Amino acid sequence: MKPKTGAGGRDRPNDPTVLILTSLASGPKHGYGLLQDIEAFAGVQLGPGTLYGAISRLEDRGLIEAVGAAGRRRPYRLSRAGADVLDATLTGMRAIVDEGTARRARSPAPRVATAGGPA
Amino acid sequence: MSSLRTARILAWLYPPMWRERYGEELEALLAEMSGGGRLPWRARVDVARAGGRERLRAAGLDPCGAPSDQARGGILLVLVSWAVFVVAGTLVQKFSEHWQDVTPSHSQALPSGAYAGLVAVAVCGTVLVLAGIGWTIPALVAFLRDGGWATIRRPVITAALLTSLAMVATFALVVWAHGLTGRQRAGHDTAYAIAFGAWALLGTACLFAWTVAAVAIGGRLSLRDATLRLETRIAVAVAASMGAMTAATAVWWLAISDSAPWFLAGRAVGEGGSPLAPQMVAASALMVFASLLGVAGSRGALRALPALRSHGLG
Repeated sequence: MKPKTGAGGRDRPNDPTVLILTSLASGPKHGYGLLQDIEAFAGVQLGPGTLYGAISRLEDRGLIEAVGAAGRRRPYRLSRAGADVLDATLTGMRAIVDEGTARRARSPAPRVATAGGPA
Repeated sequence: MSSLRTARILAWLYPPMWRERYGEELEALLAEMSGGGRLPWRARVDVARAGGRERLRAAGLDPCGAPSDQARGGILLVLVSWAVFVVAGTLVQKFSEHWQDVTPSHSQALPSGAYAGLVAVAVCGTVLVLAGIGWTIPALVAFLRDGGWATIRRPVITAALLTSLAMVATFALVVWAHGLTGRQRAGHDTAYAIAFGAWALLGTACLFAWTVAAVAIGGRLSLRDATLRLETRIAVAVAASMGAMTAATAVWWLAISDSAPWFLAGRAVGEGGSPLAPQMVAASALMVFASLLGVAGSRGALRALPALRSHGLG
């Protein structure tokens, strides 16, 4: 069985847990700040329920931690374990990107069939 | 409706412990997202779905959780489906009373075989469910010793109170029935028929209250992987038994509609009638639904099995 190395064990770049860890890599943020940052760097609009579902799981796993409270908003930051998991996740993604890039460089562009017959 | 009020209502979709920890933050986020106006429907739907997921997770039914949580979730889904099946089975049992009395003796072999098979599988299924529950007793004892009672008190007390009420109602109904004729008991005394219907509803409420309590308890027990593997196999067998009972019921129904359609139509012997008796249609639909739920639960538990195996010792 494939070991769970990634943030959510899935290593998908659009996985909410990966997006949150990546966002927190630049410093603590609260819920709304996370949503805005993630949309800015990944173009992904996370829903509020999805965001807090992922936050609660990451906090349960000790990958992020709350940093006091600012009114009703509570900022979160990456924990040491969270930083390690993010590093491992990014390494895994980088390996796939590198492999894909190398394969595309080695092989010609695929021919696309059209409705009228072979291209 | 103000965005703050909407946010508060949406936060109530989450389980109490989750709400206590994240509720205020979620409300603040929803208020910020609405910007003083209306909260977008997309966001509302997202929160509602996430709230449902958290409720499942709190009940130990997290479909995205660890393999042990997935297995546990599947097993508990089979338990819920069994409760639904019991209600359907009881409807069939009640409806089919005295079918032999009005079915020609030369046509009884097939429906008798199907009915006997149905009863036999029902007994096996019940034994399996009880065995599955019994197997978790050591974990339950450990859970209670560790102070777990406070977390399961509410559903258990609710189920116990309903059961006490049902026992009193059963006693009263039996005493009443003794003073009635067979014809009155068969539905010709309106007051008794209403009381019987209320008693049946109370019994159903008891069954579901205990199922809810069992799910609440099952979601919190620390079960070894070996136990989960065994429970998964039991769940698969229980799901299979529901499928077999549904098939046996269908065979019985078809056989009776061929040899004694008057029984299904509620008419005198020899008269025709539609085989689509509403009670049988409702009970069969419920049986199929419960069976499908059981298949879904056992499939979920089975899918987690390889991961449990790879984790080795339980």
